[in-house]
Amino acid sequence: MKRLALFLSCVVLSTSLWAQVKLTATTDKTDLALDDELTLTVQVSGANGNIVMPQLPSLPAFNVYSREVSQSTINGKTTSIFKYTMLPRFVGKATIGAITFNYQGKTYQTQPMEIRIYRTAPVTTKGASAATVTTTNHPATSDTDLSQLPPLERELATRAYAHQGQPYFVVAAVSNKKPYVNEPITLTVRFYYSKAFYDAPYQNPTLSNLFMEEAGDAQGQQTVNGIIYRYEEKRYRLTGVSQGEATIGSASVSFRPGSSPLSVLDRFFGGAAVEPEQTVSSAPIKLQIRPLPTQGKPDSFYGAVGTGYAFAAKLDPTQTEAGEAVTLSATVQGPGNLKTTTDLQFPPIEGLTAYPAVPVSNYLPNSTSRSYKIFKTVLVPAASGTYTIPALHWSYFDPQTSTYKTLTSTPLSLTVAPSSKAASQFDFGHSENGSTGVQTIGQDIRYLISADPPAPSWLATLSNWGWLHGVVLAWLAICIFIASIGKKSAAKRQAYVQAKAHLKKATTYEHISDAISAYLLAKWKISTASLPLRSIVEALEKKGVKPQVRQQFSTLWEKLESARFAPAQADTQTRTQFSEQALALLKALEGTK
Amino acid sequence: MKRLLAALFITAICVIPTCLRAGDIKATAESFYRNGQYAQALSAFEQALKNAPNDPYLYYNIGNCYFKMGSKGLAVAYYYRAFKANPQNSDIRHNLSLALASGGDSLVPTGMPETLHRALFILSLTELKGLLCLAGWMACFFAGLWLLTHKAGKLTLVLGGIFVLLAGWFYLRHSLENEPLAVVASPVVELRSGPGKNFPASAAVQQGHLVRVLDSKDNWQEVIVRSEGLKGWIEQTALERI
Repeated sequence: MKRLALFLSCVVLSTSLWAQVKLTATTDKTDLALDDELTLTVQVSGANGNIVMPQLPSLPAFNVYSREVSQSTINGKTTSIFKYTMLPRFVGKATIGAITFNYQGKTYQTQPMEIRIYRTAPVTTKGASAATVTTTNHPATSDTDLSQLPPLERELATRAYAHQGQPYFVVAAVSNKKPYVNEPITLTVRFYYSKAFYDAPYQNPTLSNLFMEEAGDAQGQQTVNGIIYRYEEKRYRLTGVSQGEATIGSASVSFRPGSSPLSVLDRFFGGAAVEPEQTVSSAPIKLQIRPLPTQGKPDSFYGAVGTGYAFAAKLDPTQTEAGEAVTLSATVQGPGNLKTTTDLQFPPIEGLTAYPAVPVSNYLPNSTSRSYKIFKTVLVPAASGTYTIPALHWSYFDPQTSTYKTLTSTPLSLTVAPSSKAASQFDFGHSENGSTGVQTIGQDIRYLISADPPAPSWLATLSNWGWLHGVVLAWLAICIFIASIGKKSAAKRQAYVQAKAHLKKATTYEHISDAISAYLLAKWKISTASLPLRSIVEALEKKGVKPQVRQQFSTLWEKLESARFAPAQADTQTRTQFSEQALALLKALEGTK
Repeated sequence: MKRLLAALFITAICVIPTCLRAGDIKATAESFYRNGQYAQALSAFEQALKNAPNDPYLYYNIGNCYFKMGSKGLAVAYYYRAFKANPQNSDIRHNLSLALASGGDSLVPTGMPETLHRALFILSLTELKGLLCLAGWMACFFAGLWLLTHKAGKLTLVLGGIFVLLAGWFYLRHSLENEPLAVVASPVVELRSGPGKNFPASAAVQQGHLVRVLDSKDNWQEVIVRSEGLKGWIEQTALERI
């Protein structure tokens, strides 16, 4: 029994624990960019049966564009997850207030969450320079301290009083309704609300005869007759384009009052109906653009209108060499966008060649109302010396005094040394201090040549003597021919001389026949080694050798053959006779043509 | 004799006014040039060139007119023609170098010493041809003499060596001067990947740049920009052949 009671008590305790409702809210990030999205997840655990949607607080800083609901039951425990995808609307710190959930007469709440919204990149307006658009949180304005506000703020706050009692309204005001042409003025548009809203797209005002740039956002709070209003503010810089009337149209905000809309699923769970869209607009504003006075307009006026301008000139470097470039820059700072002003005209400076550069203009860092413009020109001195850059003038129109005022820079000095490059390139002689005394100032083509065309040189004339090629080649051919003939005759002459010498030195019959054989071979290419006597004689006949000489050759040749093969019968006297006969034969053969 | 005198008289009548007229044109052109009327000076010099084609000084003067008028491409073309005809003239060399330098080019090829380039161009191609002929003739003469007499053998060898060196010099100069060169005459021309405007442009080439012509199709020339080594196609109308 005790065991049964213990079991039952455990079941009841576990059931009561199981039925405990838990509400949590989380976001996927706490810091996000303006073009990023935020997911808010609300989780309800332990609530069974039909439940209503959690109630979101007013989320003026976000547009909720997507909702998802999912439900799961595990072991009898139901968990409902509500996901809201939201887009941030304003830069700055946004608070997601407490989310409430009612279940079985009990109200559950989450802790508020802080989200920081950043701008990813500066907002740029087409035709305007990149300006930093900032969001500021104004201090709360109460009913009593309006007089302490600046004129434009006071104007806006005062206009807000005209809408007292309305939960949503838009007001707009300008800092000056009668500006001069190109005078910068400020337009501020505020969307006041004292109740929650969502899906609030903003529509910029339409303009005529005005140039507009965004100048930032702000958020703030103002109490109007005891009702606390929050407002979203947008600021613009305006400049009048030309004299005459200018119009600022209505700026409007379309929104849906109340909390975030509910989906079909929300309604199924007992949500409320969606509120219809409402639109609130500001009243149009008319401006009268005044022309700039022509009287007293200085030459150095380039279109700047305003007060508080500063102007300075700088030379970089202040010392250089001839032919080297230095940069003269003039910087002007002041209200409005100086980019719309025309460019400063640098005065010509004798001895310096100027190459103007494109000016640079932008807003000053951490400022949305003051800009700067830098005019630059590159100066190249032609020769050494000291140059004075005269004072530069820059004028603007002061709308407060309706007069032109001129700012003047201080004169600058440029010291130019002789060019070291020029000295090394053109050395026309030495001087005592090492300087050549000649500087390169510039380069140009040389002057015309007025002389008559140069007469062809003798070498050029020679090139036209083509006929001489033939003559020279003919000469060479003749020489080669003659030389070749001479070589043959010389060989033949040499044959006789050599044979004669051999005969004189001959000590045997063989020597004598060898000398005759060598002669015949050299003179007539007749080889006696392989031919019988009869063939040798026939060859001699073909060469035109006379019959007596041929007979003389045959007789001697036979005797020599006998003496060679029967040497015993021969003596020195006989050999000498053979030598003499051989010499006589050679003489006879030499006489043959 | 009478006929000879008559012929000489008629020749003198024909030639003398032509010479005077050419001198007048040059003087007029120079006057225009001095007054900064470069277009008129150009017209006059071009007229004078018709009477004396291949006059290097007229090419030079026309180049000067184009340079002053801002047509550096045409200036380079005319200076180059003058340089080919008379490479020894320092004024022609100076102006050609200056005009080429304005387009980023150089007369002296990269890596070649200036002195060597001057030595290479100390003679005109015609003069070099004459010198080569002379050396050849002398070498042949002495070779023949040696064949006949077996004398002056060393002189023949020296002359033969000189002839070979001159032949190498002539070949080099001939190759350089017959290189198919052109200059960009339009202010800026696009270098395209093919012979047509439907091919994308890979580079923009300013006037005065020297290009080597490789091929031709219709009105397009395939070129290599010498200073940059870029290859592509350029419209023929934008080029001036040298």
